[in-house]
Amino acid sequence: MNAERAIVKTGSTTNCFNRAVLAATRRQALPIAVYPGLALTGAKVSDIVTNPVAQVEAQAALHERYRTSFVLSAMDLSAEAEAFGSAIRFSEGEVPTVTGRLVTDLAGVERLAVPQPGDKRTAVSLEAVRGLRGLSGRPLVLGGCIGPFSLAARLIGVSEAMELTVTEPELMHALLAKSAAFLGAYVRALRDAGADGAIMAEPAAGLLSPNALGAFSSAYIKPIGESVADGHFALILHNCAAKLPHLSAVLASGLRSFHFGAPMDLAAALTKLPSDVVLCGNLDPAGVFCQCSPEQIRVTAADLLAKTSSFSNFVISSGCDLPPGVKLENLDAFYDAVAVQSASPTAAKLN
Amino acid sequence: MPDLKLLHDAVLNGDAKVARTVTEEALAAGAEPVRLVQDYMMPAMAEVGRRFESGECFVPELLLSARAMKTALAILRPLLVTTGVPPVGRVIIGTVQGDLHDIGKNLVASVLEGGGFEVIDLGTDVSPEAFLAGVREKKPHIVALSALLTTTMPAMRTTIEALEEAGVRREIKVLVGGAPITQRFSDEIGADGYSDSATGAVRLAHDLLGV
Ligand code: B12
Repeated sequence: MNAERAIVKTGSTTNCFNRAVLAATRRQALPIAVYPGLALTGAKVSDIVTNPVAQVEAQAALHERYRTSFVLSAMDLSAEAEAFGSAIRFSEGEVPTVTGRLVTDLAGVERLAVPQPGDKRTAVSLEAVRGLRGLSGRPLVLGGCIGPFSLAARLIGVSEAMELTVTEPELMHALLAKSAAFLGAYVRALRDAGADGAIMAEPAAGLLSPNALGAFSSAYIKPIGESVADGHFALILHNCAAKLPHLSAVLASGLRSFHFGAPMDLAAALTKLPSDVVLCGNLDPAGVFCQCSPEQIRVTAADLLAKTSSFSNFVISSGCDLPPGVKLENLDAFYDAVAVQSASPTAAKLN
Repeated sequence: MPDLKLLHDAVLNGDAKVARTVTEEALAAGAEPVRLVQDYMMPAMAEVGRRFESGECFVPELLLSARAMKTALAILRPLLVTTGVPPVGRVIIGTVQGDLHDIGKNLVASVLEGGGFEVIDLGTDVSPEAFLAGVREKKPHIVALSALLTTTMPAMRTTIEALEEAGVRREIKVLVGGAPITQRFSDEIGADGYSDSATGAVRLAHDLLGV
């Protein structure tokens, strides 16, 4: 049991997000929800990903409805690849996605120019962050970006990237160096635009083995995290595919704030973390937020809250980005469950 | 005759080069194609599937094993046909319209091939019309649909409806799968079977065809 509970070593600098969570007297909630705000503003998905004003409005509408402590820019994980030159498929009602492979070999990787933050649609997130700063109640503003392995995978093909980690690791490392160079600059640009932190989404890395995740993802995130660790800015690493065996490898990124998806056993993960490292997660966007009734969502959320009630470093969230189709009554049910738990006697443990 | 255990291990370890050379050497030495597939490759692929499901190996390893198996099968398939060894059944597989996720679909396709099925892969973003055209042209026993997005799950229903309207639904079994799919959804849209894993897909395919 003792070995099971061995605490994993993590980085040392804390940040404003962790401080806010640890100081809170009630359970904090941070569903990754921007697109569901469309139900309130009437805009389209295509507006959110191209127009920072529409993006801020959708988030502001949700902030207004739920009085959230945090606001987010939209998760749009094709924007960075587009800045590198990838072809993108747009449609009115869907989040855009990368099509085809921009690079296929080392020569292509060597020719690849590293873009500037603000190129193509990365300008939308930077502008959205500036807009979110103006919201009433001064919520913490979290920008968003993709992670280095997932970006590299989108440039060279996701399935191909998986295989290349085994068959041509040097090619992947060359590509990762460029991916991470851009993302480092982009995260710093988000900070300069006024973000208090950023959620870096690294979904594809969770499909790797723990060792490969360490080598092809965490190793590249670590220097980015160090470059923005100023005691305030919070880089939150999101990995929606990682499972418990990946935990140490994810923590090797040296960050202090993590966000996991449904595959992670959160209650077990919490026992392995120092109490000042914050973990967020992990109600399944599809299986819970989209497909369950409000009543089922209340039960599922209450269950997760009960399992994690003794940990003040836990933030209840969706396991990943919530798609536009999530009904507001389902989000209402989620926030209801959080409010009910916060009002219950166990919530006292949070102090 | 090369040591055929090497073929098993090449599939298990995802080494396409070794899989190719051992297959070629074995054929040159007079090995029976069907034995190579059934005694060495299929058990290796089944073991890879088991390791993946129990968390002993991960997606890259699985993809490489699938590639090694495909490489050897590409050499063996024409010979299996000429020597009159019929596949267990013919499957058309694809990711439904609007959906570009193909890792799970590719794994299911490979494990089905490893299980002795002939698999015709229509790729990703496959429209109901394209599935229907595939069914008309290839006369499969099974149509396998994959979807990873809640927004593309309804395309499974429209695909089944298209097959019904065209009057071909009764001739085939429809399998569905992908992370957001549930047994309930599968029942609701009138599919014949659902599984959450690639090895489960093979068991299901065998059961449905009674082979
Ligand atoms: C890799 C990945 C991608 C890659 C896909 C690369 C590729 N070539 O496939 C990329 C980066 C391109 C991508 C894009 C997007 N993605 Co994506 N992606 C994933 C991720 C991380 C893993 C999926 C995967 O490959 N899993 C591994 C395989 C082995 O598992 P599997 O597919 O479930 O398959 C197994 C079983 O389900 C079963 N199975 C599968 N098919 C079938 C079929 C049959 C017949 C049977 C019987 C069984 C079966 O067997 C398989 C083997 O065990 C998931 C997150 C997650 N944790 O699942 C998100 C996820 C699927 N993606 C998601 C989203 C939202 C998107 C985007 C819209 C995001 C965006 N805008 O960029 C786009 C959509 C693009 C499009 N139009 O399709 C969401 C879907 C939410 C939802 N349910 O609606 C997920 C769940 C992440 C999340 N937000 O939580 N994605």
